[in-house]
Amino acid sequence: MGTGVPKKRFRDFWGGLAVGLGEAFLVALEALRANPLRSVLTTLGVVIGVAAVIALVSVGQAARSRVVGEFANLGPDLLWVLPGKAEQGQQFATQEGRFTLTYSDAQAIQREARAVSGVAPWLQTSIEVAGGGRREVTTVIGTTPEYLQVRALQLELGRFLSEADQQRRKRVVVLGPVLARQLFRTPDLALGGRVVINGRAFEVVGVLQPEGQVLGVDLDDRAYIPFSTAQLLFAVNYASLLFVKAQDTASVLRAKREVERVLRREHGEEDFTVLTQSQFLGALDAILRVLTVALSSIAAISLLVGGIGIMNIMLVSVTERTREIGIRKAVGAKRGDILTQFLMEAVAISLVGGVLGMGVGLAASWAISGRLLNQPFTAVAALPVVVLAFSFSVLVGVVFGVYPAWRAARLDPIEALRYE
Amino acid sequence: MTPVVDLQGVSRVYRLGAVEVWALREVWLRIYPGEFVAIMGPSGSGKSTLLNLIGCLDRPTAGTYLLEGEDTSRLTDDALSEVRNRKVGFVFQTFNLLPRLTALQNVELPLLYAGVPRSQRRRRAAELLARVGLADRMHHRPRELSGGQQQRVAVARALVNDPAIVLADEPTGNLDSRSGEEVLALFQELNDSGATIALVTHDPEVAEHARRMVGLRDGRLVRDEPVPRPRRAREVLGRMAGAKG
Repeated sequence: MGTGVPKKRFRDFWGGLAVGLGEAFLVALEALRANPLRSVLTTLGVVIGVAAVIALVSVGQAARSRVVGEFANLGPDLLWVLPGKAEQGQQFATQEGRFTLTYSDAQAIQREARAVSGVAPWLQTSIEVAGGGRREVTTVIGTTPEYLQVRALQLELGRFLSEADQQRRKRVVVLGPVLARQLFRTPDLALGGRVVINGRAFEVVGVLQPEGQVLGVDLDDRAYIPFSTAQLLFAVNYASLLFVKAQDTASVLRAKREVERVLRREHGEEDFTVLTQSQFLGALDAILRVLTVALSSIAAISLLVGGIGIMNIMLVSVTERTREIGIRKAVGAKRGDILTQFLMEAVAISLVGGVLGMGVGLAASWAISGRLLNQPFTAVAALPVVVLAFSFSVLVGVVFGVYPAWRAARLDPIEALRYE
Repeated sequence: MTPVVDLQGVSRVYRLGAVEVWALREVWLRIYPGEFVAIMGPSGSGKSTLLNLIGCLDRPTAGTYLLEGEDTSRLTDDALSEVRNRKVGFVFQTFNLLPRLTALQNVELPLLYAGVPRSQRRRRAAELLARVGLADRMHHRPRELSGGQQQRVAVARALVNDPAIVLADEPTGNLDSRSGEEVLALFQELNDSGATIALVTHDPEVAEHARRMVGLRDGRLVRDEPVPRPRRAREVLGRMAGAKG
């Protein structure tokens, strides 16, 4: 009788460890396969958690891309002047002082602000418009000729509002292409047609080219009438807001300062807010980010629940296999061997769940981004999230597998062998 | 010659609350290489405790235990695991094979924990299964084997790391007389080839297959004598076969 099989040498240790872990993983998968229903149910929590995190973050990113894209179309040199002073930290004006912006404010800005290339006041209302035998409830906007240049719009047919229209409060209207089609079927038929707004007849003098949508608002489903006419029609003497266009992107901040200076003087107080596009975007971005984080956190809770489920099942598994653990220890398994074995099983469950969750999450992201948001799904953008969610799933396996594995390793072999 | 097993005044005490239970009391025992020892005694005499101590599944509360000359009290838990792996081979009454593994994989198990690479493991395990006459059952799972076959797989597993001593705890307890006799025949063959075997039993007929008998009563060693004419299992099997005819 001899001394037994020679011990492994240290330099074989790391190679052996890698092989050992790989083998241990395969053994763990084998153990999972022994009870497929239980294994599948246990991975569910991780699958859902990972899928949800990936889908939510990807969709959040897609939404953001889309919003930023839409806003970029409006022009980076655009400024919004809103009535009411925004609170510190708030980017959107409060409802107080809604009636403080006027046509003369627009004129003053046009005259004095050098960095500004155009100002257009804007009065908006939602009202029924009839024409071409049809009626539609739509947005009617009162504005000045400058609006065409400020918003860089293009005409499909006819002309935009003119200075003469504004002076004489003419009842003329320029239709957005979607509204024109809704009422008159084609823009050609719309031109020269008659439209009734608030009981008054208007002549259609122009149809615009399509602008698209921003934040779900259809910019082409609207009608433009002269600002003065609008004020008369709706019996008001203020503007909802002012659109200001800076000379170029570089002068945006200078334009903002000048506008603020002019208005401060005109009003005598700071009862307005001037917003740049980047401020808007910043606010939107912040909101979207908070939303994404909040939703992802909820999804992460699912991951946690999944981890608890893993721990639970592993504890049951350890108890069921008490005898087996005793046998292994009797033939020479060290505590570390037993710990590794059961920890590997937990990691295998969560890893499989992570992979499945990744698949489900990516599929969901592709579907939601593509269908709902009309945003092509970029796998590249999703990559960091995928890696993160995946790593989390492994971590969950390790963290929640440690306790049961430790319990298994600590079993007394003699007691374990007696277990029935 | 260094004894394989050298128990020097070994005691094992269990403390259950305020009560002390002396499972073993000052046992002095030496087992030399090549011996075949039967450990006998009534239920509760401490036989299994003694076997567990010899096999390093348990530690003595008092006294010294030298295994192949090495003081086991100095060993850490991990070191004891290694000892169990390399120097000791267990055979249990209830076979204790892992149900989800094949016979081959069961026999491989100690080699796995010894860090032996896969191909070597397979080869060695197959060798041993052939040695115990189960080469054709290598890929069967325990539930596909008879009791006697399972126990032979267990013996193969016990031998796979070439241990210093084989420890068997009532190895024939769950077997019919014929299978039991076959397993005892196997032990005798191994012993004839030089294996050191310690076997625990309450059955005097089983004990008579060994060459030396030690008796325990209430945790003390009360008897230690050679078996004058050991029963040869092969002969017993021969008579069984003859009786059937």
